[in-house]
Amino acid sequence: MKFLKLENNDELQANLFSFAIHLALFLVMIFSVGWQTKTPYYGEVELWDSVPVQKKINKTQATPKKKIKQKQNTKAKKSAEAKAKAKAQKEADIKLKKKKAAEKRAAEAKAKKLKKQKAIKELKKKVLKQEKIDKLKKEMLEKEKVERLQQQIIEQQKIEKMQAELRESELKQQKKPALEGENEVKGGVNTGELNKYKLLIQQKIQQNVNQQLCGLDYVILEFRISLMPTGELLGQPKMTKSSKIKSCDDAVERAIIQSQPLPLPKDSGLFSKLKNLELKFHPNGVE
Amino acid sequence: MNKFLNIIFAGFLFFSSSVIHALEVIEILGGKASQIPIAVMPFKSFGAQKDIGKINSVIKGDLGRSGLFYPLDTRGVAASPNSDKEVNFSQWKSLEAQFLIIGRIDFVQKEKIKVSWSLIDIYKQQTILSGEYVGKNNQIRAIGHKVSDKVYERLTGSRGVFHTKIAFVEKYNNKKFKLNIADYDGYNITSLLDSKMPIISPRWSPDGKKIAYVSFEKEKPVIYIQEIATGKRKLLANFKGNNSAPSWSPDGKRLAIVLTYNTNSQIYLINADGSDVKRLIRSSSITTEPSWSPDGKEIYYTSNQGGGPQIYKFNLESSEVTRVTFEGKYNLYPSLSYDGKLLLYLTQDQGKFKVALQNLQSNQVLKLTKGPLDEAPVFAPNGHMVLFVYKNYGKTTKIGTVSINGLKIDPLPLGSRQVQEPAWGPIKN
Repeated sequence: MKFLKLENNDELQANLFSFAIHLALFLVMIFSVGWQTKTPYYGEVELWDSVPVQKKINKTQATPKKKIKQKQNTKAKKSAEAKAKAKAQKEADIKLKKKKAAEKRAAEAKAKKLKKQKAIKELKKKVLKQEKIDKLKKEMLEKEKVERLQQQIIEQQKIEKMQAELRESELKQQKKPALEGENEVKGGVNTGELNKYKLLIQQKIQQNVNQQLCGLDYVILEFRISLMPTGELLGQPKMTKSSKIKSCDDAVERAIIQSQPLPLPKDSGLFSKLKNLELKFHPNGVE
Repeated sequence: MNKFLNIIFAGFLFFSSSVIHALEVIEILGGKASQIPIAVMPFKSFGAQKDIGKINSVIKGDLGRSGLFYPLDTRGVAASPNSDKEVNFSQWKSLEAQFLIIGRIDFVQKEKIKVSWSLIDIYKQQTILSGEYVGKNNQIRAIGHKVSDKVYERLTGSRGVFHTKIAFVEKYNNKKFKLNIADYDGYNITSLLDSKMPIISPRWSPDGKKIAYVSFEKEKPVIYIQEIATGKRKLLANFKGNNSAPSWSPDGKRLAIVLTYNTNSQIYLINADGSDVKRLIRSSSITTEPSWSPDGKEIYYTSNQGGGPQIYKFNLESSEVTRVTFEGKYNLYPSLSYDGKLLLYLTQDQGKFKVALQNLQSNQVLKLTKGPLDEAPVFAPNGHMVLFVYKNYGKTTKIGTVSINGLKIDPLPLGSRQVQEPAWGPIKN
């Protein structure tokens, strides 16, 4: 090496000094850079979805870059940061408390709302129930009415059916004269036809007799009536025998009037047999 | 000359007989248990309070409850006619009305009103009954009931019971009991007795002035008779054992009661003043729930002498015992209609307790109610309605009326009161 050949001490000293300076500078250079050899510090935080404020704070703490910066700051800065952090924490706590209180209020309000909704539901249920009862009552009344009407319709249908049968029979009669049996012709009148009309009249009047107004005992009443060809009464029914119960006599008379028009044949010969009738009533059956 | 007259007379007879023979006869057997459609218009009010005109709803309620009438809805009908001359008969016929009730209320003097009314026959096209009542404003319901009574009597031939009273027991605060009196339709309730102990079997005296009942206030059943007007009461029966089931004789002089004096329940007779107690039937079986026939000659009662409870009758003159009910295994609580023709009792049918009505002439039985837990049926004084207790859907106990044709069942408007043991008072003259 060249420098080992130097003969005077000054030169050696200068070289050593220069070497020391360079070494010192090198060391300073090396250590002043502050290589990060340790694993960076990460703060442990809990992430609360429902506490956004807290979340924000944690986010700040969790940023590694900012963490490095903090380390480089002065103690004062660190203290200020700590204070700010404490303040933020405090604020976060307050906010958390407020949030909790708000949540509690919300829960209470929700419970109240639910209770109210439940009460409304109950009330609605009650109203519905009452409406249902009212509806049922109405339906029952309607049903009663409908039943009455149906009964009338059935009776009417029966009569109409019989009348149709009668018309059919009349037609057959016109085509095929009666030979014997129930369609026997006596004195120019077909007795079978006569009996059918008598049955129709009997059925129509019977439906209108309110037997409840005749007590429980066996009673008998007789009326005479005169009819127009239309089936309407000619004058008022004439009572020839009373049941001795006024309400019964009246009820039977009403039944006759109510039964107008009575079914009558178009045939004048038959009509002449039915234009004056004697009606014999046994409202409580026969003895 | 005589010969000539004879020939003329014979000729007349022949002619008249041929006319009679020429008349066709139609026999009509039976009829239909239908309800009479009747329209009751609101009464016109002159100078009186407006709502007083609603007297028509009282009349409609009465007639409807009887089961013999069908009050029509007249809301759509224009103004009420003032007399039969103003009635549009064809309009009412088209509504199927057979009768129409109209009326007016006039203010007479301070708190006094006059109610005038008419019953019009739609088919005969004329007024068949009319009347007037004067009373206080607050007597409007009573006047309505009077009108109903008159209409009912005119159209059915039986006296109305709409102006009568009923008695029933009310349990309150779950431990106290009241003996109440009310109008037949449950309005105007007053209390005759308030007791900490149970009260059962109230029975009206035939004159309607007293009520006999069983009270447990002596820590066993004893029978009291209480005057309604004064509230004064006396102990009728406090014999050894139980004293129960009082039933007034039709003349009101005696009562049939049930004592367990010797062994089991037996029927005894006692004078209404508490004297002359004697045993009626000597039987080893239970005999209970006595009920007098209206002629006072027989006592109907329940006995288990044939096994299950059945109804028997005891003839007071001959001491003859006859079994009356045969349909069903369980028949009890008998009572008779005012004319003695109908027997009312409680029957068990397919596991349900129902009110049954038996025609004592034909022995035909009609079940008036459907149960399942009906009890204590009693007749109205005209025998056309029945008062009974029933459990509403098996929960609350209600008192209701049922018509004897079974067409109409109506609960009395007694609200949520716990009620039991009804009794129907007589018609007062």
